[in-house]
Amino acid sequence: MTALHRWSGLVGLLATAMVPLAGQGYRVRLDSRLESVAWRGVAEDSIPATDVIAQPDGGFLTPDGHAARCQGRTCFFYRAGAIQRGVPWVTRADLALWGLGVNGLSARVNVRLAHDLRGEEIVWPAAQPDLLLDEGYLEYARRSITVRAGRQFLLGRLGAYGLDGGRVVLRSSGGWEVGGYAGWGLARGIAVPVTDPALNPLDDFQPRDRQVVAGVEAGWNGSRVDVHAEYRREIDPAVDYFVSERASAALTLRPVSRIRLTSGGTYDLAFGQLGTADVALSWLGQRVAVTVGGRHYRPFFNLWTIWGAFSPVAYQAWHGAVDVTPMPSVTLHARGERYRFEDTETATPTVDVEDRGWRYTTGISWRATPRWTIDAGHQAEFGPGAAALGYDGRVTFRPTDALTVGAHAARLRRPLELRFNDATVTSYGVDASYRPEAGWRFDLSGSTYHEDRDRPDAAAISWDQVRLSARFSFLIGSSADRLPLPRAVRGARP
Amino acid sequence: MIGRSRTVLAAAVLLLAAAGWRIADARPSGPAFDHDEHVGLFPGSCTTCHLGAAEEGSAIWPTAANCATCHDGTVEAVVEWAPPTSSPPTNLRFAHASHRRETRDSVPCATCHQPDGPRGAVTRGRAEDCVDCHEPGMPHLAATDRECARCHVPLAQAVALPEARIAAFPAPPSHDSAEFAFAGHGRLATASRGGRRPQPVSASCSTCHAREFCLLCHVNAPEVAAIQALAPDRRSLLLHAELEAPASHGAATFVTAHGGAADRAGAACATCHTQPSCTACHVAPAPGAVRALPMPGAGRAAGALVSRTPPVSHTAAFREGHGPDASSQPQACATCHVRTECLTCHRGGPSTGAEYHPAGFLTRHPAAAYSRQTSCADCHNTQQFCVTCHAQAGLGARNTLQAGPYHDAKGAFLVGHGQAARQSLESCVSCHVERDCTVCHSAQGGRRFNPHGPGFDAERLRRRNPEMCIACHGRAIPGMS
Repeated sequence: MTALHRWSGLVGLLATAMVPLAGQGYRVRLDSRLESVAWRGVAEDSIPATDVIAQPDGGFLTPDGHAARCQGRTCFFYRAGAIQRGVPWVTRADLALWGLGVNGLSARVNVRLAHDLRGEEIVWPAAQPDLLLDEGYLEYARRSITVRAGRQFLLGRLGAYGLDGGRVVLRSSGGWEVGGYAGWGLARGIAVPVTDPALNPLDDFQPRDRQVVAGVEAGWNGSRVDVHAEYRREIDPAVDYFVSERASAALTLRPVSRIRLTSGGTYDLAFGQLGTADVALSWLGQRVAVTVGGRHYRPFFNLWTIWGAFSPVAYQAWHGAVDVTPMPSVTLHARGERYRFEDTETATPTVDVEDRGWRYTTGISWRATPRWTIDAGHQAEFGPGAAALGYDGRVTFRPTDALTVGAHAARLRRPLELRFNDATVTSYGVDASYRPEAGWRFDLSGSTYHEDRDRPDAAAISWDQVRLSARFSFLIGSSADRLPLPRAVRGARP
Repeated sequence: MIGRSRTVLAAAVLLLAAAGWRIADARPSGPAFDHDEHVGLFPGSCTTCHLGAAEEGSAIWPTAANCATCHDGTVEAVVEWAPPTSSPPTNLRFAHASHRRETRDSVPCATCHQPDGPRGAVTRGRAEDCVDCHEPGMPHLAATDRECARCHVPLAQAVALPEARIAAFPAPPSHDSAEFAFAGHGRLATASRGGRRPQPVSASCSTCHAREFCLLCHVNAPEVAAIQALAPDRRSLLLHAELEAPASHGAATFVTAHGGAADRAGAACATCHTQPSCTACHVAPAPGAVRALPMPGAGRAAGALVSRTPPVSHTAAFREGHGPDASSQPQACATCHVRTECLTCHRGGPSTGAEYHPAGFLTRHPAAAYSRQTSCADCHNTQQFCVTCHAQAGLGARNTLQAGPYHDAKGAFLVGHGQAARQSLESCVSCHVERDCTVCHSAQGGRRFNPHGPGFDAERLRRRNPEMCIACHGRAIPGMS
């Protein structure tokens, strides 16, 4: 019996046993999506080095025109492969139960099921395993204390982190809160243990045992200041060595009503390095909002991999953003950022790689009438590895309060630095969303992508594709948030 | 003259009929009485004809027979006049006979009824005349509570009072104060509680208002004794009331800071808000202050309508930059957002990317990913999510670095890949696994190329986890005894 089965059984038993209790509340949200996508794949191929044609720039081409990279007596290249098709059907169910006879006690379950309707191996990233328990825990929450036990995610400066274990947070009436958690950790970015076969790429670096995680946190929330700090360590129980040891701090200041300063960062105690950090100052007016700030980014790798020992360098960035609402129906926004990497101490005369970049986006949203909205945007970015220059637009029509239909188009020029893959992608799409009543939602959408790939060889494979998707979701519950709001118009007869 | 008067009277009757037949009944029918012409017949005394003003139980109006005594067609022309068949609709408590008795006949009729109109027409009594005696110097509508009740019955008891007159009730000057709509009217409504004869609600309120009027706003009506003390009467809804949100609600920080105020003064919130006011934003299970509020129902106002308005901090860029806010004040997020909303993106799986990324993001994700505009690993397991897709798209390395022709734009990329790798190692691992690199960067079976760069603290890492060192160096870790 897997841990997932055990948790499902426990939650099901609990739900069944608690149903008759008076005052019980529940909320069930089911979100089911079906998507169809197809694109041409590629096939790896090789050719003897004696068969390739040397080019003036030092490269090689196969006789049929594919750029090849040679190693010894063999040259490798990719040619057009079979059409890849996928019809992933993904359903996410979210259940919350409260009023279980103990005031403040609730149970939460969040499950994801994925299946490819074509009955073949799903060609979609992160679609395994088929059944995934994202969260499943019991919570006891009162004004001064919150206790959780079960599978849960911690969301904070140290990233979204999952664990099977417990967490306690104590709060004082003065705004202080302290807490701690401990348990067995999950892999980063997915609710499976690091030992799960779904993480095959870990391959021979895959740990034998799950890591044990423990952390403490403290914070204070005031009317003008919010501060939060956390320390977390992960231990490999097989060898009692660290998997990671990190700390974080976050601060928000609101010195006056419209000004806000947010800052914070992480420190990797294992590597002795500042991780990600940022500071931003915002002026938030009713018509104008301005934010300026800086950030420091360094990727985090735990000690189960050797990547951290490859000394990834950080970059520093300065950014600014402006949102303007000159009139109630029009919103303009613009953002920009410049960044530069620290010296990698690896420069060679043979390969020159960008070490700085910039990006900006601008956009406008115009609510032409209460039923029609027009959005347009422009994005450009340039930096190491890739660049992009694009425009997009969208028209949204809401003929009734329940129905929304829209059409969108975009054009993007996307050169890559390390690869002959300059391309222009043009996409069109339509979508519709129908919400017959609160909590119910039906969506349909379709879009096409047409790529003009500017490669100087035969590998300019068409990546054109059509994507269709359907979505159905509903939310039912017994709580007040499921009731339609009554009208409360002053001076009118009820 | 009489014919003209009849025409005028007929028009008046039609008008009055439009306003309500009871009003017509309350007026005498026939030509207007000329007091001046008859003054010689009834010198000095009104009660000769208006006996009811002096004697309880007697009619206030003379009868038609009294007129016919002279207007018999012989002595005087016959007049067609008849006294009203009912009392005029009023909310006055006043009765002439008892007033005369209580004042011991010290207030002559002319004190209130001035015979100075055309043909000696007697004016109706005015409220100001009452207040002149009962509370000298006080404007009528500012009279103290006991004086209202002295002259007026509560609205609910004035059953005959026409709706048009109720709708035209003048507002007292006290209602004009900015504070009146909030705490002010409550204090006035309960002002008489401490008197010698404590009342649950001020008589001055009940003069014009009934319970339904309070139910326009008061969610907590069943819990407010003053409101319950008012009799029900739907006619009170004829009075127009429009309540603006308190000034505190307009502050820029109100959305984010109202929780503390609600905790401290929950009862004040319950005046206008039911639970649905809060659950427009607050997700269940709602905070205690929300649960303490009543649900809408019979006997309560529906509650102020609250629209879900994002805080001003939620600008167009907030979705990508909400991390700092969320990490410093996680409880604030939980006010309006359920964890599912977080998990939808932070547990990014198949077909859920559209919740976060804009349409068509797939086509331009390389630029955003290379520089980690936002951290992909916050939502994706890069070892699974990126590698799976890149491998199917032909971008994945197949065990050896040399096999992948991805970097074909840089002819000598292999010998100069260090800078790209250290700048965007997360991009490398979206296609490569460790073994691709240890082909060269390993002291065990590799080519012993040192991958350690600036700031590398070998001893620090060895103390934390020597297993990582062993992966490439074996047990012979440099510098390790």
